[in-house]
Formats: sequence, structure tokens, C-alpha cells
Amino acid sequence: MTTPTAVVSAEPSRPWRKRIMPVVAHVLLIAASILMLYPLLWMLAASFRPEQEIFSSTSLIPSAVTLNGYISGWHGLPLSFGTFFINSFTISILCIVGNLAACSLTAFAFARLEFRGKRFWFALMLGTLMLPYQVTLIPQYVLFLKLGWVNTFLPLVVPKFLASDAFFTFLMVQFFRGIPKELDEAAQMDGCSPWRIYYKILLPLSVPVLTTAAIFTFIFTWDDFFGPLIYLNDIKTYTVALALRNFVDSTGISNWSGLFAMSVLSLVPVFVFFLFFQRLLIEGIATTGMKR
Amino acid sequence: MSTNFDRRQFLLGSTALVAAGAVAPAFAQDAGRLRLYWWGGQARADRTNKVSDLFKSKVDPKVTIDGEYNGSFQDYWTKLDTQVAGGNTPDVLQMDYRYIYQYATKGTILALDDYIGKGLDLSDFDKDQIEGGRVGGKLYAISLGANSVAMMVNTAAFKEAGVDLPTPDWSYDDYKTASVAWNKANPRNGMRILQDGSGNEPAYENWLRQRGKALYTADGKLGWTADDLVEWFKLWDDLRAANVCVSPDNQALDANAAIETTMITLGKAATTFANSNQLIAFQKINKDPLTMVNFPRAKKGAGGGHYRKPSQFWSISSTTKAKDESVKYVSFFINDGDAGAALGVERGIPCAKHIRDAIAPTLSDQDRLALNFVSNLGDLLGPLPPVPPAAAGEIDNELQTKSQEVAFGQSSAEDAGPAFFKAATDMLARSS
Amino acid sequence: MTARALDAGSAANARATVPSPWRQAWTANGPGYMFLLPWFIGFFGLTVGPILISLYLSFTNFDLLTAPQWAGLDNYARMFTADPKFVASMRVTFLFVIFSVPLKLAFALVVVLVLNRGMKGLPIYRAVFYLPSLLGASVAIAVLWRRLFAGDGLVNEALAMIGIQGPAWISNPRFSLWTLIILAVWQFGSPMIIFLAGLRQIPQDLYEAADIDGASRWRKFWKITLPLLTPVVFFNAIIQTIEGFKSFTPAFIISGGTGNPINSTLFYTLYLYQEAFGFLRMGYASALAWVLLAIIAVFTAFSFLTSRYWVHYED
Repeated sequence: MTTPTAVVSAEPSRPWRKRIMPVVAHVLLIAASILMLYPLLWMLAASFRPEQEIFSSTSLIPSAVTLNGYISGWHGLPLSFGTFFINSFTISILCIVGNLAACSLTAFAFARLEFRGKRFWFALMLGTLMLPYQVTLIPQYVLFLKLGWVNTFLPLVVPKFLASDAFFTFLMVQFFRGIPKELDEAAQMDGCSPWRIYYKILLPLSVPVLTTAAIFTFIFTWDDFFGPLIYLNDIKTYTVALALRNFVDSTGISNWSGLFAMSVLSLVPVFVFFLFFQRLLIEGIATTGMKR
Repeated sequence: MSTNFDRRQFLLGSTALVAAGAVAPAFAQDAGRLRLYWWGGQARADRTNKVSDLFKSKVDPKVTIDGEYNGSFQDYWTKLDTQVAGGNTPDVLQMDYRYIYQYATKGTILALDDYIGKGLDLSDFDKDQIEGGRVGGKLYAISLGANSVAMMVNTAAFKEAGVDLPTPDWSYDDYKTASVAWNKANPRNGMRILQDGSGNEPAYENWLRQRGKALYTADGKLGWTADDLVEWFKLWDDLRAANVCVSPDNQALDANAAIETTMITLGKAATTFANSNQLIAFQKINKDPLTMVNFPRAKKGAGGGHYRKPSQFWSISSTTKAKDESVKYVSFFINDGDAGAALGVERGIPCAKHIRDAIAPTLSDQDRLALNFVSNLGDLLGPLPPVPPAAAGEIDNELQTKSQEVAFGQSSAEDAGPAFFKAATDMLARSS
Repeated sequence: MTARALDAGSAANARATVPSPWRQAWTANGPGYMFLLPWFIGFFGLTVGPILISLYLSFTNFDLLTAPQWAGLDNYARMFTADPKFVASMRVTFLFVIFSVPLKLAFALVVVLVLNRGMKGLPIYRAVFYLPSLLGASVAIAVLWRRLFAGDGLVNEALAMIGIQGPAWISNPRFSLWTLIILAVWQFGSPMIIFLAGLRQIPQDLYEAADIDGASRWRKFWKITLPLLTPVVFFNAIIQTIEGFKSFTPAFIISGGTGNPINSTLFYTLYLYQEAFGFLRMGYASALAWVLLAIIAVFTAFSFLTSRYWVHYED
């Protein structure tokens, strides 16, 4: 026997809850976003402030808005920041190409191929991540000096083409291992060489991790100042991150508003890069392309 | 999306890159090229580059001068040391009083005695500034400017508190007396009259010298005893307890005396221990008008604490292939009238008298203040101390940490004094 | 005669079709080594030399200005018996890793799962949460962090509004490390993106099949999402821990290179840097580096060994 009353009383609460939940979620997310964004908003405000106010004022709104930071920052060093942006872009793009190509090749070997000494080489590769760079800096500098690569981009870029970034190799290994091996085996039975498996099967399925690697490479190289500090002497070759460090002289005269202004500007390419690649990351792949 | 990567293309590309690198010109130091390296921000770089241009137009049109600089003091030494270790030392490098001992004794920089009068003109140079560049009797570095320690003073805050500005004869007791009225007026919601200087090495040195001691002796030992340090820590304990100086929480905001984190810039204190050539830099990021005064006297009438310190030097690499050119450059830098005008007093007060006289009328008010300050120290002036030993940097570091231990109550002055004395002695022994 | 000829023929045939041991080895290992060629060139050409030299330097006294002098085990002996800063920096670094890594991973995972629900404005939220990671640890951030966490900073102002009297977070030795932990966790966007990529790689038809079977959201998460996410969780855990042990720039910039107040922000690599470039003791710094490597290596090896109990791979 049906109990209409029981059924009817259950229903009205569900649509009500369905409407309230997204709103609560949005409120929480917006609150969290403000926490995440506050420091950046402060930096943005500081870039428009008169320099003498940066360290004394506590409010987020500047008392007087001035573009002095941007003007003095852009022309703050003997070369305009345009040059530094171009240099940073060049290095970052080259590093992305190098990392994606070299690390995926290496990761494919570790993830999909069998060969003698695989575990040993994998451990060594991972081991290169564990030593702090401060102690390999001098020997590496001497090496690059002997090769004549100092004061060029080469020390910053060439290692990427030789899979020196174990971070990305390890990342790709983990992702490759998440792709079903049956795909490889099917291809092998069709007579595919390992290169074809890598190129035609695994890479297309790895768009998420390749995109991620591209994003991270861009950011790491964009923000890196230590490599450029040691290897770049001529100001014509400076990157944005290195140039920014010349704005502040803690024992003498600094250009703080210039620093904040250029730091804000420096964020723009990185953010745009991320937004663009985020779409690729999301729209990546919907299926494995395999018929089960 | 498919990755359009042909393996052959990739291999070709990487080979080309490597080949290009091997063929790229090595940046060896030819005779017609001078590498200059210094620390400082853009303001200093502009002036220095102007002098380099003047050198090219007046002395040697054929030379190419590569001027490199780093804004960060720490970055500078990291990169310099890396280059030295790689055998790639710049020809002319900026040197600091704290490090000159190491670079001289390890043979990184050139002894310049043979060049005096033969390319290096020191005829009009202050004698004490020449001495400042000597290690073991030999001249290794040429002073680019003298400065002295000085307190930055926030005149607006003093006016608000209704307290008279500090005068040259104020001692720590005078600051304590003034702080009574100060704290009653409570300007700027809790601003104190002094920073906590217990971990400030120049302040400690100044105080020691006024009592007839020194930070280091000529043979590289400590020139003070544990008792001295205990008394110093006790002095600050007292000032802290009486609210004359800022609280330890606030003082710890100061990151290694960087101008932007000093108590005066952060608005926690009305005075800060600094150097005389930093007035402009402080004023740039401080809204209130600032002035300078000397470090407090240890007690009434005590003097001899200050000294005219070479703020920075030019040294010449011992491995340079352009010795004569480098010497020429340095001599031009310190002696040429136009160069002196371009440099101003940004690195300190020029050491050549004719330069000083020439630029004095052209200085801004604050620069003139700095010049007069260093020239007219009177009874505050004492002799130049010996060049600090190799471990000086490490000991300074440790002093900051130890003073914080006392300030935060983790250690008492009586314990911290002997403990630090022992640590400093060990550091000296280890580094020799 | 024909039979013997036939026999001889078949024997010759047999010899021709069995490849030599060299050929076998090449066929088996060749592809692997060919794919590893770029890495081998880089490893043997650029990387292994400096690494071995730094190991050699750890047994010397090297002041960067003159040649290294052999010192045997002195550096290691001093480290373990007479160096309070070594102990302090170890403690600080371990605390940092223990707190920041799990928090960072937790935030990253939770946020990415919440943001994967298909709500409106997802890309914007994701970008916002990732933005802090783009900043790295710059001088600008250091200024800001001091402003936020000073005794009279904005964090305490906010806390005062709900009646809490906060301490001087960034300048008090008891709390300063926490400001650095918060800085690290604030930048959880990096592991978050990696989790996102991992989520994106899970085939949708698995979820569709589960829906057909009537599985609840919780069951789908527990039986599909989480297991297939474990390789990425493993990666993030290992990498964040390694990076945490090596963390340098935030402590360097915020403490002005000192590690103060009272060595409470003296990260291990900051101490290493002080020894190497501040006090010109590169030999000792190299020894410190190798001790760190040993610790990280032990931890990583242990993680790999235990990973087979919880990490699920598709091969």
C-alpha cells in the first residue's frame, strides 16, 4: 500500500538544498580567493603608490595614484624592460621545447621499456634532484667556462635538451605508467617499433602531463634568477627576474616602486601563459581511445 | 593535439645548439677590454658608467669597458667568488673593508705599491684612507670614499613628541632621560626613541673604542673581553626595560640592517644606527624629513669612537691581463675632476682633497650634511682600526643571533657574554 | 647422402636463425638505451662531473679563492660533534617539511576535487588559486610577508577583530617558522595543477560505467578516482618533500640571509649557503650537502619500497 504523504514530504527539501549548496560553495571559494589574492592586490597597490608611502602605509588603497613606478621601472636600468622580457621569453620557450622533448623520451624509456640497469639509472636520475645546487654551482661554472658558454644562454638552455630536469622526467614517468599497457602491447603485435609507440600512441595521450610540464617549465625558468645571475654578465642578456634584483640595494639607494611595478608586469606573461595552457589541460583527452 | 616532433629534427637542433656553443667566442680578457664589477643599485651604476664613458673619451678611446653590477650585496659576493674559483676574476672589482684581509692574503687581489706615483696618483689622497687599504703593510685596495657611522633621525617624530633633537654630546644616558618625556608624549602610537642596538656590530665597536678597547687587535685577535660584552648586553637590557628602545619583537623585524627593514623606516623608532653615506637612501623611502647625528657617547665626554672608514674600495685582480689599464682606470676614477663630479658622494666622501673641494659647492643639502658630518667629527674621531680578520663576518652574524637570545630572554647577559666570547675566539682560530 | 645433406642444411639454417648474444642484448636493451641517449649525454657530460667534484670537495677545506686542501673526515666529524647550527638547521628544516608538505598536499587535493565538480566560474577559481605559485619567492613577497605578519601587521589586525591578540609572528623566534610554512602552503597551486592533470587522465568511460551500475559519488571517488590518482599523489609527496628539504629562497629573502630570529628560520640549505659563500668554507658546505642528500635518498628509497602497497599503476 502506498504512503503518498511519506513520499511527498521527502521531496521539497531536496531542491532547496540543491540551491543552497552552490551558493555556500561560492561564498567559501570567494573568501578563499580573497585570501589567495590579497598579497597580489597589495603588490598591485604598492606599484601605484608614491615610493615613500610603500613602507609606512597599511591600507590597500594608495593615497595618491602615480605611474612613476611603471615609468621609472621600465626605464630603470640602462636597457628598457622590453629587452629583458624578450630574453626571458626566449629562454623559457627554448627550455619548454627542450624539457618536453628530452624528458618525454627519457620517461618513455623508464616507464615503458625494459633494459638492463633500468632501476639503477632511474635511481641515479632521481638522485640528481637531491643535491642542493649551491655545491655543484662552482664545478658546473668551471665546466661551462671551459666550454666558453659563460655570458650566453647556453648554460641555462642546453641542459634542458639533455633531460637534466629530473622533476619532469619523474612526473612523466608517473603519468606514462598510468596509461594502460595493453595499448602498447596491441601496437607491438601490429609490428610497431618503440619509436612509433612513443610518438603515435603515448604522446597524444599525454597532453595533460605535457601541458603541465610546459606550464611549470615556463614558470620555473621565468622566476629563476640564480642561473642567470651566475652565467649572464652582459646586461643585454639579462632576464626579467635578474633585472628585478638590481632594483633593490639594501645598503643604498633602491627603486622600490619600480620593483613592484615591474614585478606586477612580470606576472602578466606567466599568468596569460597559464590561462592559455589551462584550457589545453582541461580539454585534454576525454577517453583513452581504446575500445575495451 | 599532436606534438609535431620529428626525432631527426630534434637531434639536428640539439647538435646545432651544441656546435654553436662551442664556436661562440670565449670572453677572454684582451688588452683592449676592461671588466669592471661592483655592487650597488641603479643610482650607483649610472654614476659609475658615466665615469667609464669619461675614461674612454679622455684617456683611452680604444678600450671597451664591461661594467657589471649587482643590486644585492650578497649576490655580488656569490658571483664574484664563483668567478674567482673559476679563474675568471674581473679586472677591477669593488672591495669591502670586511673582506679585504682574505682576498689580499689569499692572493686574489694585486698589491699596488709598485704603481704608486707610476700610474697610480695618490699625491692628494687622504693618508688615513690609503692606510685603510693596506694589509700586512702592502696596499691592496684604493678607497672610493670615506664614511662614518651615523644615526638617522626622524625630525618630524621628535617635533611631535616635543623632544629636542639629539645633539653631538648625547650619551646613552641622555637618550634614556629624553625617553621619559618621549614615552609620555607617545608619538606615532608606540614609537620609541632608539632601536635595539645590542646586536649592531658598528654600535658595539663604537662603544668599545670610546672605552679604549677595540673590536679586533692588529694581530687579528679580539680586542675586548667577555666582561665588556656583558656590560654591553646589560646596557641594552636596561634600555629595553625602561622602554627607551624598541621591543625585541620589533627589532627582530630588521633583516640584517637592510635599509627597508630598519626601525626608522618601519616607524618603530625615531633613530637608527646607519652610515653617513646612506642619508639619501633612507630619505628616499621615508616620508618624514630625516637628519643625521653621531652614535651616542658611552658616557658624558667620552669620544674617539668614530672613525673615517673607507666605505668601499677598488681592487685589481692579481690574474688580470690588463694591469696597466686597470691601474689607469682606478687612478682616473679617484683623481679626475669630471669623474668626481659624476660620482658625487654616493659612495662616500671623496678621498682626494681637490675632488672634495671641487664638488662641495655643487652638493645637495643632504649630501652637504653628510660631507660636513664626516669632516667635522671633532673629539668623536678616533684612529682607523686595523683591517678586520677573516672571521669578522661570521662573528658579526653570531653577535646578531646572540643579542636576540638575550633580548628574548633565552639567555642572560652574564651567560651570553662569556658564551659569545668563546664562540668568537673559536671562529677566529678556525679561520686562520 | 641426401639425408646427410639435408641434415647439414637444417643445421646451418638453425645456426642462421638463432641470433648471437650481442644481437640479443641489443634487441632487448637497444631501444631503452637509445631513448635514454639525451639523458646519458647530459648526465655524463654535464651533471656527473660536478656531482663527483662536490663529493671530493666535502673532504677538503676549500675557500674558493685558493685550491682545495685535503682534510679527510674533518668536516663530517665537526658536523656531527661540534656544530650547534647544524643541529638547529636540521630541526628547523625537518619541522618545515613535516608541517608544510602534508598541508600543501591536502589543500591541493581537496581544492582540486572540489573544483572538479563542474560549477560555474571554475577556470577563474583555478587561476586564482594558482596565482600565488606564480610569484615564487621574490623580494616583493618578502616585504609583503613582513607587513602581513609583523606584530602590528594585517593578520593581527584581522585577528583583533575577532578578539584574538596575536603575537609578532614573523619576528618572534617561536612563531617565525610558521610564517614560512604558511608561505609555502599558500603556494599550493603547483601540486594542485599536477593533481588536476592526473584527474584529467582518468578515463571518463570508467565513471560512465560506474554510473550505469548505480554507484554513489563517494563510491566512485573511493574506487576509481583515488586509486588512479595514486601515482600522482606519490609524485607530489616525493617531490614536495625533496623540494621542502632543499627550500632556500623564502628563508633567505625574509631573514636577510641570517636565518634569524635566533636561527629559527635557518633552513638547512641557507646554512649551507652561509658556509659556502658567506664564510668561504665550500668544503664544509659540500659535506653538509652530501649529508642532506643521504637523508633525502633514504627517505625516497623507503617511499619507493613501500609504494607498492598503495600506489596503483596501469602496467
